[in-house]
Amino acid sequence: MSRGAIDNGSVSGSGLGLSVRGLCFAYARGDDIVCDLSIDVPARGVHAVLGPSGCGKTTLLRLVAGLERPRAGTIEVGGERVAGEGVFVAAARRRVAVVFQDYALFPTMTALANIRLALRHHPRGERTERAKALLDVVGMGGFAGAMPHTLSGGQQQRVALARSLAREPTVMLLDEPFASLDPGLRRALRDRTLATLRERDIATVLITHDEAEAALADARTVMADGAAPC
Amino acid sequence: MTAPVGRGRGLAWRTLAWILTLSTLLPIGVVLASIAGDSEGVFAHIAETRLATYATNTVLLTLGVAAVTLALGVSTAWLVTMCRFRGRWLLSILLLLPMAVPAYIAAYSVTDLLQPAGPLRAIAIGEDGVRWWWPRARSLPGATIILALCLYPYVYLAARAAFIALPASLLDAAKTLGFGSIGTFARVVVPVSAPTIGAGLLLVMMETVSDFGAVDYCAVDTFATGVYRAWATLGSPIAAAQLGSVVLGAVGVVLLIVAVVRGRRRFDASGGRSQRPRPVELRGVRALLAAFVCAVPVLGGFVLPAGWLAVLAIDQGDQRATELLVDHGLATVFLSALAAVLVVGLGLVLVEAKRMAGGWATRVPVRIGQLGYAVPGTVLAVGLLIPLAWLDHRLNDVWGWLTGERLGLVLTGTIVAVLVGYQTRFMAVGVGLLRASLDRVPPRLDEAATTLGCSSLRIIGRIHLPMLLPPICAAMLLVFVDAAKELPMTLMLRPFGMDTLAVRVYQLASDERLGEASTGALAIVLVGLIPVIVLSRSMGVRTRSALEVER
Repeated sequence: MSRGAIDNGSVSGSGLGLSVRGLCFAYARGDDIVCDLSIDVPARGVHAVLGPSGCGKTTLLRLVAGLERPRAGTIEVGGERVAGEGVFVAAARRRVAVVFQDYALFPTMTALANIRLALRHHPRGERTERAKALLDVVGMGGFAGAMPHTLSGGQQQRVALARSLAREPTVMLLDEPFASLDPGLRRALRDRTLATLRERDIATVLITHDEAEAALADARTVMADGAAPC
Repeated sequence: MTAPVGRGRGLAWRTLAWILTLSTLLPIGVVLASIAGDSEGVFAHIAETRLATYATNTVLLTLGVAAVTLALGVSTAWLVTMCRFRGRWLLSILLLLPMAVPAYIAAYSVTDLLQPAGPLRAIAIGEDGVRWWWPRARSLPGATIILALCLYPYVYLAARAAFIALPASLLDAAKTLGFGSIGTFARVVVPVSAPTIGAGLLLVMMETVSDFGAVDYCAVDTFATGVYRAWATLGSPIAAAQLGSVVLGAVGVVLLIVAVVRGRRRFDASGGRSQRPRPVELRGVRALLAAFVCAVPVLGGFVLPAGWLAVLAIDQGDQRATELLVDHGLATVFLSALAAVLVVGLGLVLVEAKRMAGGWATRVPVRIGQLGYAVPGTVLAVGLLIPLAWLDHRLNDVWGWLTGERLGLVLTGTIVAVLVGYQTRFMAVGVGLLRASLDRVPPRLDEAATTLGCSSLRIIGRIHLPMLLPPICAAMLLVFVDAAKELPMTLMLRPFGMDTLAVRVYQLASDERLGEASTGALAIVLVGLIPVIVLSRSMGVRTRSALEVER
């Protein structure tokens, strides 16, 4: 667990999507930001990670995504070890997708091109059709040619979700993707997103500040703030 | 948003804005109109003998300098922004130093260093007399490298700004979507940063096309030298203007292409609340290599040329240094200070006209006013000399008719021509800075003042001017330094017997008296250091705050 983390446990599922054991991380010349953290998320499961700003929630997400290398501990995705002693699978080769807080849509590309970019593992001729189908899944079929800056926050979030789904991930990491939306839209998008992910047997880690949002998850981890090293 | 001025006041502002663009429109119009003029066979002779060389050299030089500055500017900006290694902060500041060395002065110094009897040549030949291959500074590749080493800071600054603004989440997203470092750079970093870096590159290309002193000394015939020779050697202002019209046409086409490309590629890469990327820690050989890559352009663009000038100045120097500094230094300060006041004053009127009257009728003059920077100095000079000389003749005719005496050269033979030239060429510097600053003054302040009964002049005097004082000072400083370093226009438009430091250095260097030229050249470099220090101070503050955020 993280510093002072409380794990509510996890639900049983059809198979283990994500398994994190004894994860520790510190930036160079710094104290541990994540220390001895363990979580299990089954396929179709949703695991909420709560905690105040700066407690290491986003760092946990970056470790699972393969954007940072852990100091200690192991990470398994779909039963395959992607980080641990002597093992480190780069982000590009993990079956892990991320929806970032600011959506991180590539500003020079249309919504369709953003999704096509994530379909590199498919034959070139199929990519456009697949990308259009994914836009339909998130209800954005009519916005294929739109540039990101012309879309609203909710629309950008849906394109970002479609792009992440294009990777056909085992684990989906959601970094407060509903935080900047108004309450009505937030609820609708949140329900729709989680339903889409469950339909596809994806294990989801939801980073959030919102207790109500965390209540929708099957399990939760509360990461505590504190300057004292573990 | 514009201040609500009355219909009459709006018309006055618009008229004033268009009058101010005359100094830009006049030389451009004269050069373009010269196509129909009769050069008495001079242009035909140039077209037959030299035009292909001018065109080839100008294109090759511009593309070569663009390629080298792109490589130097982007690689160094990437290293000091996205990586962490010992000396990174210092190098990020030192990389600006070549901006202080005008290309023509770098050309004098580097050419002297590499000449057959120069100090570096002695190292290459050695005691046993074995001759290695040795680069020739007076060649197209030599001029390309010299110009690139002086101009890469434009690309470096643009690339650094683009990389600092790059949201970390974009890079992370690319990695999680399956891209490696090269894929992320090619598919995400390059497209997102291209407009900003492209703007820097466009400046470099314009400076290259405009350059006269460096290419002239390196014996590379370009359009800039061609225009000067047609005017000075062949004595044909019409042929010079006709040659200039070819350059203007090419510049116009490039600007048009850039405008179309920019119009098509509209996107917002601000990244919202996203954090900046965490720099990659480099250690050992990789850190040394990064420091080396960043140090090479500083050595080549500043340490070598400025250092050799200092050695020459101490060893030989100008025997008439005091006289040089008093006569030519004072002339330089006098002309540059007048130019700074004139350019910034008129620039302020132009941006205030846009603010007060608004609409296309003031937006267009502001754009036109900034065009002068894209036109080579020699072309502008020819474009101004022709109408000013015509006006001088007419004034003399009228004066002679009235008094029976000759008036002399009122415009072309005085500082009026130089000042009009500086105003045309450097208006973009003043307008660019002032416009950006004025845009940040909330329009609500103008509206509040209007509701309190203030006139537009009172709003400018009581509200805008006190808020714009720092950018006004910065703009005046930049124009002062630019004018002090300017060579081709000053050479062609200066009054008889009034040489600036740049002209004096050019004349001495042309006579191969580099020892004497070194004192004046070093003085110009020292003046050029002023804006670099100002810029590096503001960059230093930004870098330090970025480092604090990282920590």
